[in-house]
Amino acid sequence: MTPGTQPATGTQERFDALMKRGELIESPSEMTPDYLKELKHTLIVSGDTELISAPAYYLAARKAPSVNAFMTGIAIIQDELAHAHIAYHILEELGESQEALIFKRDPKSFRYPYAFDVPLESWTELVVANAMYDQAGFCLLGDIHHHCSYGPWKRGLVKVMAEENFHLRNGRNWCKRISQAGGAAREELQRAVDWMFPLTVEWFGLPDSLKQHNTQLDYRLKGLTNDQLRQQWLATVVPFMESIGVAVPAHQVDSHYELEYPFPCTFDAGSKRWNFKDACTWDDVLARWRARGPRNAEMVALFQESFKTFKVPG
Amino acid sequence: MEYVRVHPQVREYEVFARKARAEALHLVGSVVAPDDDLARAYARATYDEERWVELVIVPKDALLTLWAPGEEGPDS
Repeated sequence: MTPGTQPATGTQERFDALMKRGELIESPSEMTPDYLKELKHTLIVSGDTELISAPAYYLAARKAPSVNAFMTGIAIIQDELAHAHIAYHILEELGESQEALIFKRDPKSFRYPYAFDVPLESWTELVVANAMYDQAGFCLLGDIHHHCSYGPWKRGLVKVMAEENFHLRNGRNWCKRISQAGGAAREELQRAVDWMFPLTVEWFGLPDSLKQHNTQLDYRLKGLTNDQLRQQWLATVVPFMESIGVAVPAHQVDSHYELEYPFPCTFDAGSKRWNFKDACTWDDVLARWRARGPRNAEMVALFQESFKTFKVPG
Repeated sequence: MEYVRVHPQVREYEVFARKARAEALHLVGSVVAPDDDLARAYARATYDEERWVELVIVPKDALLTLWAPGEEGPDS
């Protein structure tokens, strides 16, 4: 079969019946073209996010404070690549070319959260990413694992969830250790949280008030809304950071968490600083995301370069 | 189905594993590789999320499908 030609041949009637009964969809012969399109889009975001975390984490893991710590960092990167493989391989079975998706796309066309484009430059920033970015991934993928209507992806995520849990534990253990070390180490930890916390809050996307119709929810590709997932993330990260003595700009009010800054607001990627006095619009945020951030091209080159250099003629 | 890879000819392998002797083998994923040895290496490196008591790979084209989800079996 030629990549890109996998047809969705399910009838609308049979597809609707499967969805209504809460059944899993198992192959393109049970999909409508619109479901296939939405599934592929969701898989690309997931695969791209896992893939880009590898170079992002690698560039910071080189600053590991010991060989043991470096090996842990590399083990996490290997997990992330395996997770990307799961998403891209499913895309391949749906008719996409894995080679084209990974090695032949323009850096700007990768669909992953903007946060990864802001350089992680120290071990401290890497472990904060494990504690906050991987927690975001855990919330988003946990929701897909729980609700996803596409059987092969739902089953593939069993492995992903087990391993993301390990990344989270690594991030939390190190954040706690750095906080307990005190002094300059703790100040560096607080500075990392200061810029990375709002970037992860943003990770979950437009607030529900601006995103009234969500096809991914209609097709049970996910089960929770952007704001529900954001709240789930806040409910784990805020108490954890407070428990280790790190300040975060959010607090609990009744059963939900409120941010202590205008959301959204402006961010300067070069200096890694938020301006909480300068509220902006979601159009401004979307424009920043679309332009991609400082490390986008460098990270994509890290995994595309070897392919171009060592391509064996077919 | 044909896969485009650095190697001109590759096969897909299904990966089966079980955590405990009391369990049956179950499908945990798949790998695409140019030969059995590399497929073994890819499966071992990729599906290392548990301490499996058994890990097995099978070329996907060796599986003979009698019927798939949505297709009618003899009793339906």
